[in-house]
Amino acid sequence: MLRLENVTKIYDGGVVAVKDVALDINKGEFVFLVGPSGSGKSTLIRLMMREELPTNGEIWIAGKHASALSPWKVPQLRRSIGTVFQDFKLLPNKTVFENVAFAMEVTGKSRSSIHTQVPQVLKLVGLSAMADRYPRSLSGGEQQRVSVARAFVNRPLILLADEPTGNLDPATSVGIMRILDRINRTGTTVVMATHDHAIVDAMRRRVVQLDRGRVLRDESRGVYDSSYTETPAQPDEEAVAPDVTDDDGTTNPATAEAVLDDVAEVPAAELIEKLEAAAELEEA
Amino acid sequence: MTSLFYSLREAFTNISRNGLVVLGAVLAVFVSLTLTFGTLVIGEVVRVNTLQWSEDVRVSAYLRDDVSPSGIADLQAEMESWEEVDEVFFMSKADSLDEARILLANRPAALRVIEDDPSIVPASLRIKPLDAADYQTIVTRAEATPGTLRVESAGEVIDGMISLRDGLQLMSLFLAVALGAAAVALIANTIHMAIYSRREEIEIMNLVGASNWFVRTPFLLEGAIEGFIGAALAVAVVVAGLRVAGNQLTDLPEWINIQIQSDYLLQAGALVLLFGVVAGLVGSGLSLAVHKYLKT
Repeated sequence: MLRLENVTKIYDGGVVAVKDVALDINKGEFVFLVGPSGSGKSTLIRLMMREELPTNGEIWIAGKHASALSPWKVPQLRRSIGTVFQDFKLLPNKTVFENVAFAMEVTGKSRSSIHTQVPQVLKLVGLSAMADRYPRSLSGGEQQRVSVARAFVNRPLILLADEPTGNLDPATSVGIMRILDRINRTGTTVVMATHDHAIVDAMRRRVVQLDRGRVLRDESRGVYDSSYTETPAQPDEEAVAPDVTDDDGTTNPATAEAVLDDVAEVPAAELIEKLEAAAELEEA
Repeated sequence: MTSLFYSLREAFTNISRNGLVVLGAVLAVFVSLTLTFGTLVIGEVVRVNTLQWSEDVRVSAYLRDDVSPSGIADLQAEMESWEEVDEVFFMSKADSLDEARILLANRPAALRVIEDDPSIVPASLRIKPLDAADYQTIVTRAEATPGTLRVESAGEVIDGMISLRDGLQLMSLFLAVALGAAAVALIANTIHMAIYSRREEIEIMNLVGASNWFVRTPFLLEGAIEGFIGAALAVAVVVAGLRVAGNQLTDLPEWINIQIQSDYLLQAGALVLLFGVVAGLVGSGLSLAVHKYLKT
């Protein structure tokens, strides 16, 4: 589904963000990109949505040779990719419904399919009752769920999430992870860049650890920390920003594990039921 | 079809959302196109007037008394064959005397000279040039033709009028170009601001895979609509101004004619409207081409 061959990205000014990365992500996988700030997670996400072109190497996205794709074909490629960001990127002058519908409107979907699909997706993320609210009246977690709904409403093959829980408290983060997990279970490939130890450790999915633009570790059922992170800093290399994830915004591991284990074991139908129940509870 | 409707709706939403900026652009187009159209109209007034006046330009070739009537007819035929010449009229001695009496009415001394001996007023051929600017060639050729006594024309006056006409036309062309460029730049600026104010929407459109045309069309339409409104106002104001001028300036000297063919107004007005729309499209196109939020 996603294939990177010896990808290097050097930004203007000579900053090497990604160096010689090879990565193969299959359909339906759930992959965490972890690593300290400046390790190249966000650049990898941007390369995977063809927001950036690699300086060297080749990229295939959803069967298309993205690094050789002409610019006018990019919109078509983007329709097979959903994106979620730390800062939600919702339009403040549109309601929840309109924000989600926007992704369908601007890709030319019919009015009738908008009116059937948007409510479905809002139900999936547990926001049916808030369709007419504006983003400013929603909590951060609710806003991020709108953002996930928008990313998923066009049924993309791939969902890319760049620190989707970065602005959220631990309990709210768990809610977002449940939804991403649910989306993954529909067969959508999910790639998520994160700092959040607890979430990564609880989910036990594939973990790709980056350090200074290189892949340090790639484990199929990995955890956030491992002995590899203890790599001593090279004295001749530029200092990178320290890993600050220990200090703020990390989820309480015990809670996260409990909730996510619970989620991981239930079949999809039951999960939807649970999500709907949760949504109704919030509506009440 | 849906997307055309969408684009139009977005364009109008934009216009209503950024009222002041849009007002600025429309006013800019209005002012510059009013000046442009006004200059065109004034240029047309000048053209019509100099045209009328240059219709009246004549070269007078006075004839020697010893040229026989058949010789005069030959001369007239010869001059009419010159390529610079439109028509040649014969003024007999009697006609010339009548004309001289009128022209010299307020110069008694000169009048007395011709009344004392009317035969000194020569007969003449009056030559009408095809183009007033060619009068000098006609004068030179007529002077070289046997049988002419003296050749006269209002040389300096003709040169003055011609250079005035050409100068005014050049100036109006220059003004039209400069003001047109200003209108394009101002629309480009407005669209630039409109894009900036909608950068989040554009970013999301790009993320979810809206096609490039889908993102750009509303801005192109917005520019075209602003250009059209500004141009329509300009046309309305100039036409109204011309009406008012026509009604108010009734005691102009009769040699100035400010009436303009409605054909010309219609044509020039349509051209100004078209220019407004094109200026809007070019302006927003320029802005779209340079804007970083639209890079893919």
